[in-house]
Amino acid sequence: MIELINVTKSFDAQQVLKELSLRFDEGELIVIKGKSGSGKSTLLSLIAGLAKPTSGEIIVDGKHISKLPEHFCSSYRRDNIGMIFQKYNLIETLSVKENILLPLVPLNLSEELLEKRVAEQMHTFNISHKADELIKYLSGGEQQRTAIARAHIADPKIILADEPTANLDEVLSKNFIEMLEKMKSKNKTIIVATHDPLFFELDFVDRIIDFDS
Amino acid sequence: MNLQLLKYVIRYIERHAFKNTFLFIVLTLITWLLASIFFITNSMKYELSLGVDALPDIVLQNTKGGMRSTVDERVSEHILEIPGVKSVKGRVWGYYYFDAESLYLSLVGVDIFEPQERDSLVRLVNENEVPVNSMFVGEGVKALLARNYYSDYFNFIKSDGTKKRINIAGTFTSAISLESNEMMVMPKNELRDIFGYTEHEATDIAIDVANKTETPMLALKLQQEFPNMRVVVKDDVKVFYENIFNYKNGLFLALFTIVLFTFFVIVYDKLSAISSADKREIGILKAIGWRVEDILKAKLYEALLISFNAFLLGLVLALAFVYFFDAPIIQDIFIGYTTLKPSFELIFVLDIDTLFLLFVLIVPVYTLATLIPAWRIAIVDADEVIR
Repeated sequence: MIELINVTKSFDAQQVLKELSLRFDEGELIVIKGKSGSGKSTLLSLIAGLAKPTSGEIIVDGKHISKLPEHFCSSYRRDNIGMIFQKYNLIETLSVKENILLPLVPLNLSEELLEKRVAEQMHTFNISHKADELIKYLSGGEQQRTAIARAHIADPKIILADEPTANLDEVLSKNFIEMLEKMKSKNKTIIVATHDPLFFELDFVDRIIDFDS
Repeated sequence: MNLQLLKYVIRYIERHAFKNTFLFIVLTLITWLLASIFFITNSMKYELSLGVDALPDIVLQNTKGGMRSTVDERVSEHILEIPGVKSVKGRVWGYYYFDAESLYLSLVGVDIFEPQERDSLVRLVNENEVPVNSMFVGEGVKALLARNYYSDYFNFIKSDGTKKRINIAGTFTSAISLESNEMMVMPKNELRDIFGYTEHEATDIAIDVANKTETPMLALKLQQEFPNMRVVVKDDVKVFYENIFNYKNGLFLALFTIVLFTFFVIVYDKLSAISSADKREIGILKAIGWRVEDILKAKLYEALLISFNAFLLGLVLALAFVYFFDAPIIQDIFIGYTTLKPSFELIFVLDIDTLFLLFVLIVPVYTLATLIPAWRIAIVDADEVIR
């Protein structure tokens, strides 16, 4: 369960979020809609522990994320969060397989286990045929599938997707929605920040929160 | 050891092959040059210490018109009566200009009944006879003479212009390479004949003292006894040699400073500049759950892989350069104390302290220069880095 209590976030003089209070339950798929600059991405960053709120509390499964020191924030992120960024944030000079494996590298798991897990993810997100291809040679859809597989490989409880279809055409956007449904079926808590109307009429979306209002 | 992290680091080095290869080559060259300087100076110091140890405690030299002159060795009997004097002998030695090679050879006269001050001469006299009209030469000299078709004998031009043939009876070895490469040893009287000395004429008088702490007192007494002579104490010679060595060491210090300066410029550059791609990569790694320690550990592996391997390679290259190839080019600075010398070989001296100093100068400094900028990026919110 994720709970935000009176969260305010400012960048220098600009206040992006003001006394925001929200609650997300386990297994929910929530769509946050709003214009650019409405604070959707900032909200995801705060939940992921990538940034700290200026004031207020963020509580995830009883842990006060906003008060965690950096060291614990990273561990929290590794164990709980899978992030899908708008621009994917993949390392272009690494292959698909290497990018997907990145979250597990610090865990020093055995070679066999890593191979097994990466093969599963590549199969699930239909990117096995590009396993050894460098990211810079992939299409937008392939890059996104790689980013999703990477977000999923550590089996996080929470998936945060920031404008996931902003760089995709309609067909690829629909593919992404299919993958989203697959993740939801695994009881993941999913928060999607988007202004793509495609998400607003999906029957498996539990809630839509409008940041414009 | 996290093998997966190591694999990531190796891939990182591969992905930035140009930059990392450049750094590796520069670090290797710097290590090679610094290690070569250290190896040469250490070997020279060792060689110098061996040479100085072989010197007599006091040397008595005659002067005429302010110039060095020969001395009558019969004064030895008088000196021997001075309390505290252990042994006295008149030494016959000098230099011979070998025109064909444009260099000076050292000629040393021996008398088998006298104590020898150099280990090489002690061994030579104990193990061989030095027959009349014959000489023993260092192995380097033997090769030098053979190159000029003197394999069995050598014709010296005496001071009166006539020639004197001296047979080569054999060779000797010495721990001091400059000694074995320049020295010719023969009976004193043969040398006197070449130099044009009379029967009791000697180059100088060598005196050994029973109690070394009394050397200055004895030197004073000798100066009073022989006011026309110059009394040279071993420590004075040592200072003279060290001054020459330090002057040459100074040249190396200048070279050392330039190399070190270059290294620190590279380090400064590494500290102050981290590419936007690297910043982004660190931000991504943090965003997907890497801790600051994981990032620093990866950077530590990267820095150690590059700097330690460059250090090892530089060290091996320096060892080969100095002790296998005899430091070509650089050796010219060191050859000879005051004259041209035939050849130069450096004695292998392994000084752990020097190696440690070199290691500290290269590996940890480079590692810190890699870690500090990475740490500065890693502690910033990943959100900020990615944005």
